[in-house]
Amino acid sequence: QVSVLYFARSAELAGLRSETLSVPRQITSLQLWEEIVKAHPRLAVIRDQVVFAVRQEYVLLGDQLLVLQPGDEVAIIPPISGG
Amino acid sequence: MDESEDTPKDFIKLKSEKLSVDEVSELVVSPYCGAVSLFIGTTRNNFEGKKVIHLEYEAYTSMAETEIKKICRDVRQKWPSVKHIAIYHRLGVVPITEASVIIAVSSPHRGESLEAVMYCINTLKASVPIWKKEIYDDEYSWKENKECFWANSEK
Repeated sequence: QVSVLYFARSAELAGLRSETLSVPRQITSLQLWEEIVKAHPRLAVIRDQVVFAVRQEYVLLGDQLLVLQPGDEVAIIPPISGG
Repeated sequence: MDESEDTPKDFIKLKSEKLSVDEVSELVVSPYCGAVSLFIGTTRNNFEGKKVIHLEYEAYTSMAETEIKKICRDVRQKWPSVKHIAIYHRLGVVPITEASVIIAVSSPHRGESLEAVMYCINTLKASVPIWKKEIYDDEYSWKENKECFWANSEK
């Protein structure tokens, strides 16, 4: 079970800021995205613009294998605009 | 003089209250430094012909602070003579002409602090998880920095 955090446009599309999700311990970042879109189909439109932050490290959506621990934080990161 | 009493410090803050240039620049002043360089990012009242009413910022706070700490660490590696660094970013609503971000760096001579300030703002825009929403009369828009390393918007 991981904590999924939503920010900016992704929070608007998902309709929430955080939730817990049950996912396999080992999963590629793309598969993780697909799990999340199953729960929140409106997120599909931003697929090409987002990355993840897993345990506060950026991860691109792709084949990268994630090894997740219970309670890990996974954040959906739309294109940033600080400063 | 005993320089160990002025150990280099990083001052990092994300807050929703109005930012003060005096307060942030005073944090980095040091008797060993002849230069304090400053960057202030302020809210413009227009974007592509549309009137901007105000900006709203949100952040992945814990990760934003971590990423800003990384920027400070990088600055000290590239410019070892830099003394103090302060990076303050405002969250929530920021009215027109008010500051969204203030960066202040002190160093013995001006070259390093000027370069370090530029590096800080450029890297912040590329890597710190903070988002800005521009509010217009009748709509709003989530902005995207061109420095963002994963986004390829065709604007």
